[in-house]
Amino acid sequence: MALTDSGSMIAQPRQGQGSLLNNAAFRAGVYQAITLAVVIGGFWYLVNNTITNMSQRGMAAGFDFLTASAGFSVSFTLIPYKESDSYWRVFQVGMANTLLVAAVSAALATAMGLIIGLARLSNNWVIRNLSRWYVEILRNTPLLLQIIAWYFGVFTLLPNPRASMNWSDTFFLNNRGLYFPAPVPESGFGIFLAILAISIAGAAGVILWGRRRRLLTGRIAPVALPALAAMVIVPALAFLALGSPLAFDRPALQGFNFRGGINVPPAFCALVIALSVYTSCFIAETIRAGIQSVGRGQTEAAKALGVSSSRTMQSIILPQALRVIIPPSISQYLNLTKNSSLAIAIGFPDLVSVWMNTALNQSGRAIPIVAMTMAFYCVVSLSVSLLLNIYNRRVLLKER
Amino acid sequence: MAKEQKTSGAAAGAAAFKTFTPMAARPAPKDLTGVTAWLRTNLFSSVPSALLTFLGLWIAWSVLSALVSWGWVNAVFQASSRRECLDKVGLSGACWPGVVVWIPNLIYGLYPKDQVWRINWGALLLIVWLLPLWLPRVQSKIIIGFSTVLLFPLLASYLFLGGPKGWIWTALIAVGLTGFLWSLLTAASESLGGGPFLRLAARLMGAKTAEEEAQRGRLALLGLFAIAVLLVTQWNLDFVPTRVWGGLFLTLVISGFAITFSLPAGIILALGRRSKMPVISLLCTTFIELFRSVPLITILFMFNTMLPLFLPAGVEVNQLLRAIVAVCLFASAYMAEIVRGGLQAIPRGQYEAASAMGLGYWQSTSLIIMPQALKIMIPNIVGIFIGLLKDTTLVSIVGLFDLLSMARAIARDPGWIGLFLEPMFFITVVYFIFCFAMSQYSMSLEKRLGAGERR
Amino acid sequence: MLKTILSFVAMTAAAAATAPAQAQATLNQVKARGSLNCQVGTPTAGFYALAADGTWSGMDVDMCRAVAAAVFNDPKKVQFQSVTSAVRFTSLANGESDMLSRTTTWTAVRDTQLGLEFAGINFYDGQGLMVPKAANIKSAKELNNATVCVLTGTTTELNIADFYRANNMTFKAVTAENENVLITTYLGGGCDVYTNDKSGLAAIRSAFPKPDEHMILPETISKEPLGPVVRHGDQNWGDIVRWTLNGLIEAEEGGVTSANVDEMLKSTNPAIKRLLGVEGNIGEGMGLTKDFMVRVIKGVGNYGEIYERNVGAKTPVNIPRDGSLNALWTKGGILYAPPFR
Repeated sequence: MALTDSGSMIAQPRQGQGSLLNNAAFRAGVYQAITLAVVIGGFWYLVNNTITNMSQRGMAAGFDFLTASAGFSVSFTLIPYKESDSYWRVFQVGMANTLLVAAVSAALATAMGLIIGLARLSNNWVIRNLSRWYVEILRNTPLLLQIIAWYFGVFTLLPNPRASMNWSDTFFLNNRGLYFPAPVPESGFGIFLAILAISIAGAAGVILWGRRRRLLTGRIAPVALPALAAMVIVPALAFLALGSPLAFDRPALQGFNFRGGINVPPAFCALVIALSVYTSCFIAETIRAGIQSVGRGQTEAAKALGVSSSRTMQSIILPQALRVIIPPSISQYLNLTKNSSLAIAIGFPDLVSVWMNTALNQSGRAIPIVAMTMAFYCVVSLSVSLLLNIYNRRVLLKER
Repeated sequence: MAKEQKTSGAAAGAAAFKTFTPMAARPAPKDLTGVTAWLRTNLFSSVPSALLTFLGLWIAWSVLSALVSWGWVNAVFQASSRRECLDKVGLSGACWPGVVVWIPNLIYGLYPKDQVWRINWGALLLIVWLLPLWLPRVQSKIIIGFSTVLLFPLLASYLFLGGPKGWIWTALIAVGLTGFLWSLLTAASESLGGGPFLRLAARLMGAKTAEEEAQRGRLALLGLFAIAVLLVTQWNLDFVPTRVWGGLFLTLVISGFAITFSLPAGIILALGRRSKMPVISLLCTTFIELFRSVPLITILFMFNTMLPLFLPAGVEVNQLLRAIVAVCLFASAYMAEIVRGGLQAIPRGQYEAASAMGLGYWQSTSLIIMPQALKIMIPNIVGIFIGLLKDTTLVSIVGLFDLLSMARAIARDPGWIGLFLEPMFFITVVYFIFCFAMSQYSMSLEKRLGAGERR
Repeated sequence: MLKTILSFVAMTAAAAATAPAQAQATLNQVKARGSLNCQVGTPTAGFYALAADGTWSGMDVDMCRAVAAAVFNDPKKVQFQSVTSAVRFTSLANGESDMLSRTTTWTAVRDTQLGLEFAGINFYDGQGLMVPKAANIKSAKELNNATVCVLTGTTTELNIADFYRANNMTFKAVTAENENVLITTYLGGGCDVYTNDKSGLAAIRSAFPKPDEHMILPETISKEPLGPVVRHGDQNWGDIVRWTLNGLIEAEEGGVTSANVDEMLKSTNPAIKRLLGVEGNIGEGMGLTKDFMVRVIKGVGNYGEIYERNVGAKTPVNIPRDGSLNALWTKGGILYAPPFR
């Protein structure tokens, strides 16, 4: 801090004859040494206590249970899992499910947040007030209650399997969840993927070239649309030329349930809806604040210079608004990931539900299980924060 | 007529200064006033806007009508058991009597019913203590506010907990009571124009100079403390273990503690994180980032089940205390980041100006930087408070009977077995009222504090 | 935070060398505290129910009261700790609870690996399956490919998986930690079968809008011996809980009730004399008084009284006792206490 700097500047000339206590650097060293000693001492004390207590109470610790067979079933798994798999596999299943929920909800929350954020600024009285109360009600009630409410809502609205909502025998929606066909790759699918990758890379290259040209010459090259079109059309033609190398496994009603296809359970739907609706309120407010933070003068100046309104948004408003919008949005995504731990209330098998609840209960190894759960969330959050900090440093207003 | 006025005004103005009277404004055009115009500009300005209006009205109608038919039209208000409700309306209407019977538990938890007055008195005490903050003529608002935050917990914890008190305990409660009496007397004397209470008391005791005033003021405070000690020793309450605390009361206790603790702790952590001392900065950063990166549910779980393992055998830490500590640490990590954000927004010139004035680190931080930063942070701070109140629902997982677990217990009462949605709805409304009030207050505060800066 | 994580690592390193040492005597701790810390679950009708006036009642609650009466001569000297099942064993192991009385199934892993000691069985339960009558199912064997609603974090979750694996059938689980969420799912048609311990199924069904439309299948797919649990390593405390429970069963067998216990003190039957401490010195051997069972029976009644009061046919929970496993061994059940001698 600037203050300690100036403090040391005053202290320096006196260093020779003055007391060591007046030396800021020395004092800082002493403070730090004391803090470090206290922290290490406290830490050692806690570890020591824990070891004594655990041995006294005959509690087992250690990670040896990870290879044992779990023996319980998990209602929704992204990666293959069966009852005889190990606890380690259960941990992987939980992580995959948590990440899936977080990713899907974050995408939905962004889209909804954008809509609601713009609706808050609408000229229409009904829309403005409706979106205001949407935000106020959802923001001011506990998420746990909202998740339960959505789950109950899903069940009162959806029919049972025999009376499913049906779209051309391909998509089915009932209170066991959403069913849709599972893609099954056939021979030649690899070639298609390769062509897809090449065309995406090509389009990206063309767009980057256009941007560089704009920055160098100030001329705007109309490359964005053609590049995007090529990115869609080329792989589509290739797909047809290869003879549609992708089959679908369609769901069909058999006995009690639908078999085949992919099933998204209602708990997942309810959780994703609840998380994205809840998070969308916060994102809506950041987007609103972001857009309002860009002064009206900017729009007027752009208009006076004859810049088109879409380009004003793209090149003037958005870059400035995003600086305000992105950091809080990212922490909202992190909150969303952490909030997905509430899935336990409606039984979606996320990491906390399947690992810190079911696996812990069945194995009784509280310490390693809680430690692993926390480690997972730490790794996810810290890596995202790291990226956020890098971004933050790049867009920070430069102070001279 | 307007013309006449102008000419006569100009004529008179030559002789003497006459005040300028502007002509009356013409009424706004007809199509810009009245109900129809409002409707046109706000609801039907264009075809898409009109469609959106109808869509919005339809959404509002379908939500409200479903709620009203379930919660009011089809609901049962008189029944002695859930079976009776089910036989009357099935699941199409709410069954409110079960919630009504349980309302005392939802508010006070399992607190002994003949002792509930203590909670009510605690709430009243807090309100009376904070009341001077809204009285216009009171000047010592900041110190009254601080005294409430710091000393109310002392007084309240004895009021709620009760039981035998040693001399340390007695002294602490007396300090709390002294604070309360002082706040009341100060508010009274300042409202009546007598200045701060202690100065008034000193003058009454015949103090002439400022030095005498300070001296006798301290004496008056000591007298107040003596009275408080006397009162406290006469004051005996039954012990009510925290095990039976619950409901809304417990929710407010936990979040209240967390709110009070998290602000100072967050400020210290944020300053530590920005510190130039590498060890301190590293420790603070580690603490903040780790606590922010894991869900509260895991922290609560860890504190609840593992704290007894961390401590030497035989040391029992109250379960409520464990939950409070966990929530406090969690909240202060979040608060630290908010404070850091506020500090970042203060231009460097302010720091430089402060050190140019010769202020030290603590002086410039507390007098120059923090007041400005705190003002910027108000909306975010209140956001954290609201989040804390909502997050306390998680303590139900570690077995504390907060509002949520009380509501869940209704469904397990043999008489009201399965009654689940109604209590959930009820507590949702309770949470909403508290959180919404807080957010509205923060908005008005923001407006008032920001008044000088608006362009 | 860093501390705790590091300490996990350190502890796991040191875990290999864990050896059970003698814990501080629980009885002394309880006496010094002046009350028993008895852990029950989140409120459940019949076993640990919380009434609107804030009082606890139920089979397992009475077990706690019985132990309190044995130690203190006052069945009210109990602090009930209501804890979710996720943290029940850690709360006992870390010394917070003195005993656990909360429909916990006695299994080998729990008994041998979690530092727990089961003190006996106070209720023989078994997992059952409930289906809507309209589905026209007569046996659990017809439930292949069904969706099953199951509470998470309990042995029911493992049992249903075992049942399907043993019968070479497949199923899909819908799990939740909250019973009400599951019931709503089941009633809304979100699952075909609701599974839980049979003791719970009857109570749950009684709260349905139309209870007659649902039936409990005859099969019992698992053994669920439920009983009080104490920490491993304090044999004396385990004995106190075990023999309080045995005494309750023995009292019913001998016909000693809360109403006639004073008359029974004059009984000539040697078994009753030993039970009530008129003869022999069983109580003092455990650090209690000779007549501890007199106080227990006066306080909570014998096993039969406890059963009828909390889960019997006249209660909403309604689990008929005659002919079930929970009847005395003399009446066709398997409830059997080792002799008091």
